[in-house]
Amino acid sequence: MALNTLVVDDSSVMRTIIIKTLRLAGLPLGDIWEAKNGEEGLHVLQENWVDLAMIDIHMPVMDGEEMLTRIRANDQYKSLPVIVISSESDPGKIEKMLGLGATFIHKPFTPEVLKDIIVEVTGVSNENED
Amino acid sequence: MKTKIERVLEEATIKTFEDICFMYLEPELREKQKDLKPDAAAEVGFHGGYTGTLVIESRGDLFSAVAVNILSDDRPSVQQKKDALGEIANIICGNIVPSLGRRKAGGYKIESPRHLSRDELLKEEKRKPLAAVMLNFNQGRADIKLFVDDYISDKEIKD
Repeated sequence: MALNTLVVDDSSVMRTIIIKTLRLAGLPLGDIWEAKNGEEGLHVLQENWVDLAMIDIHMPVMDGEEMLTRIRANDQYKSLPVIVISSESDPGKIEKMLGLGATFIHKPFTPEVLKDIIVEVTGVSNENED
Repeated sequence: MKTKIERVLEEATIKTFEDICFMYLEPELREKQKDLKPDAAAEVGFHGGYTGTLVIESRGDLFSAVAVNILSDDRPSVQQKKDALGEIANIICGNIVPSLGRRKAGGYKIESPRHLSRDELLKEEKRKPLAAVMLNFNQGRADIKLFVDDYISDKEIKD
């Protein structure tokens, strides 16, 4: 199974870092879409088949919390695996994202950490492994 | 002797450079790199229990190397170099602010990174940081300074 992945972050550099790390993790990747805020991210979800969403918290126009709330309110995507990647330090905010069914990764992160969490939340196996 | 905040700042910076830029410390370059002049700087502001800024200055070839390593692009544009340095500052800042203490509901709000001009950097150099670390890499040097308004340490609070 190739993972179609949506990466939502207002920083183009951070999106590049995440995509590069995804590739380094050696996971089977399908299409990768990028969005720079929650609103754009929801639009990508409407138009495409996405297996995994990786989203930031602090973004202009629509932040990660609102995007995640809308995802969970929609029958079509309510079980979509979502990983929140942020340098957020507020335990209350992190708890809120976890309560909405997301998994949290704190920046900075290694390809190994990212891979383990993706395997855990999607059940995908690493096709490159012997 | 380093303060607790300086130790946390150093650890956060080393981990960020290792995990994000795949760049590793070279402490033996200390003498060789001590006179390098800054060629770029980025600043990230934060508000919460305390208000302040984190400034990162790059020296030597670090400004280019950070972008080259992050973006896997041998010829990044100047804007990409600025964005990459800013992102590093942003991540380090997110990791250091919880160590300042004085928790406030809502945690810390970290602003978007901003590139500093030479004049702005000269002004920053006149201010006294709460913590500063200087780290040597093969590709150049990173100086990170943490400025916090009206900081009161835990020790002072206890006293």
